[in-house]
Order: sequence, then structure tokens, then C-alpha cells
Amino acid sequence: MAKINLDSILEGRRSQPHMLVEVLLDLQDQEGYLPEEALKTVSKELGVPLIDVYRVAHFYKAFSLKPRGKNVITICTGTACHVRGSDLLVNQVRGQLGIEPGETTPDGQITVECVNCVGACALGPIVIHNDVYCKNMTPGTLRRKLDKAAGKKKEAKDA
Amino acid sequence: MLQYVNVTIDGAPVRAEKGTSVLDTAIHYGICIPHLCHIPGIHDMGACRLCIVEHVRNGRSKVTASCTLLVEEGMVIRTNTDRILKMRKNIAELLVARAPNSKAIQDIAVRCGVTEVRYPFRNENCVLCGRCVRICKERAQANALGFIGRGKERHVDHPPGKLMDYCKNCNGCILFCPMSVTPCGGPMKKGEERLCGKCDSQLTADARKMPGVCVWCELGKGFQCSRYLAV
Repeated sequence: MAKINLDSILEGRRSQPHMLVEVLLDLQDQEGYLPEEALKTVSKELGVPLIDVYRVAHFYKAFSLKPRGKNVITICTGTACHVRGSDLLVNQVRGQLGIEPGETTPDGQITVECVNCVGACALGPIVIHNDVYCKNMTPGTLRRKLDKAAGKKKEAKDA
Repeated sequence: MLQYVNVTIDGAPVRAEKGTSVLDTAIHYGICIPHLCHIPGIHDMGACRLCIVEHVRNGRSKVTASCTLLVEEGMVIRTNTDRILKMRKNIAELLVARAPNSKAIQDIAVRCGVTEVRYPFRNENCVLCGRCVRICKERAQANALGFIGRGKERHVDHPPGKLMDYCKNCNGCILFCPMSVTPCGGPMKKGEERLCGKCDSQLTADARKMPGVCVWCELGKGFQCSRYLAV
């Protein structure tokens, strides 16, 4: 199935090396990460050496080579958010989920990332939960959010 | 048909083929510009910055890497002003602090007049000169090596999986790597890195008297100076 989707991404872009970033962005949107097999196909179809595909995929932060969780939690650790206590949020994640920023929980539900600034310093500390910006976060509100994100899966399991 | 342009390097008017770099022209005419990442016949990427020169235009001078600077009509280049020598010495010092375990880099440091290293030694295995990457891409056409990551994490790597799927076993990357020959005293362990400086005596008096002139110094062999490679 993944192969069919890759075909639709590559449609009209074959043998055009300059479309590499666009193809990778679409692939990232669709799969949530860049699978190794897909990168090999992309390299072959676009006529770009595989090492160049990897170079681009490693260079941009928008691409991830490891599978990511269903819930992507991004914590802003920029100057303003740091002053307003974003390090407490990072510690909350460490304590509650037992993972470091940049890692995914073993059940594949939550990925936690840190970024340096998201341009909403007045509302800090900011946490982005699947492209939704949450302002004025505290360890308490983050705990509830993480519980909810992890809890959804439990309910689904029970049902 | 070959087209030629007239360039002035260190006050000497020379004629250069259009499309060649300033570094290639200078080496061809026996003007010594120290360099590390340049290999004749391979595209330059300006990684090591050792070959910096002053490009004088409209009375202002700009410091750029000469390997990526193409010759133009009426260009004025200075290769060994005090400013350039000072900057080049500093670059060589940074290189030797990053990777002291290389004869080539120790030789370059001596050649550029480094007498002490003011930076902490890192003792890394790579200076990211990109020689292996470009040899692999352009001479072997294997595309087995490339730069991965960015900033501090930048390093040379091959695509995941087996290297042998791409590598053609030409050994070009090892042959052209400046780190493949250790300093004369053997490899230095962590904590005992130092500036070798023993080859200082091989820099003949001529080289010191005429800093901008290539005197075929023995040190050139160590870092595969393109003067030696071209012969």
C-alpha cells in the first residue's frame, strides 16, 4: 500500500532532481517519517544519489528518519519560554514519560521535541500539540495533556 | 578555443586560462598558496579556507578562498600580505588543534608559521575537508560517501546499510585523506597532543625569505600539495 502512495507522490516529478525536497516533504506528511525503503525508491526515481537524499533528510529538521508517535509534543525552549519555565515542562516530560526530548515513547503514542523559538514569546511557555499552539503551559496542564494523549489509546484498547 | 585573461598576482602580471581558479593559476606560475582540500582535477568546495587571498577591487580588498574564486580580466590578487598571513596562521592553528594526529596538518601548521597552539586539542579523526567525498563522487563515481548532519554533528558517512553496496574499493578516500599519515613520532594519545614542529628545519631559508614563492618545500609532499600531484 505504501508503494502506491509513493507513486502518487512521485507522479509528474520523476527524473527531476530539484523536486527532492518537495517529494520528501510529502512523504513526511504522509508517513510521519521517512522510511528507508521509500528513500531508496525516491533516489532511483528522481535520479539523485542515495547519499544526497540522506544528506538532505539529515540536514532539515522537518524530516525525521525514525518513526514518530501519533502525538507530537513540541516544547519551546527559546529564551522567553525558558525564563517563563519551559525547563520545568521538559522535566515533567522526563518524569512522566521517562523519555528525553527527541525520543518517542515505546508504545509509539507520544514524541517529544524541543525547538528554540516558535515566535509567540508573549504567550510562553508554548507547547505545540500536533500543530495546535497551547499558551501559558505549566507542568500541571502539560501532565493533563500527556495523560489525555496516552489515555486515548487505553480507551481504544478497552473498546 | 581557449580564452585567456590577464591577472595580477602579487604584482606579477600573468596570463591564465578562462575558467580556472586563482589557486590553480598561482600554483601553475610557482606562487605558493598553502592549501589542503584542493585536489587537481576535482571540483573545489572551499572547505579548509587555508588558501585565502586578498582580492582587490576598486581600492577595496576582500578576503576569499582562492580555490573557489575564478580568474577574471584585470583581477588583482595578493597572496601574502600581513593580514592574510595572520589569518592563515590562525586557520592552520585551528586545524591542528582539531586534528593534531596528522602529518599533513602538522606540516601545514609549520608551513603557515604556527609556533604555539592556543586552542584546546580535540584530537578528532576528521577535519571535514571533503576530499574523500569529492574523490568518491567525481573520480570513482561511486557516491558512497557524503556529509551527514549539520553544524556540530556534521560528519562523513555512507548511506545506511552495507557500505559495500556502493563502494567500488578504489581506496581513493584513504589515499587522499590528510589524516591517513600520522605524525613522525607516531599517533598521539588523548592528553599528549602537541604541535610537532620538527619539520621546521625542512623549510629552507629560501622559503622564509620569499614567502610567496613555491620552492618545492619538502612539506608539500606531506599534504599532497597539488604542485607534487600535478607532476
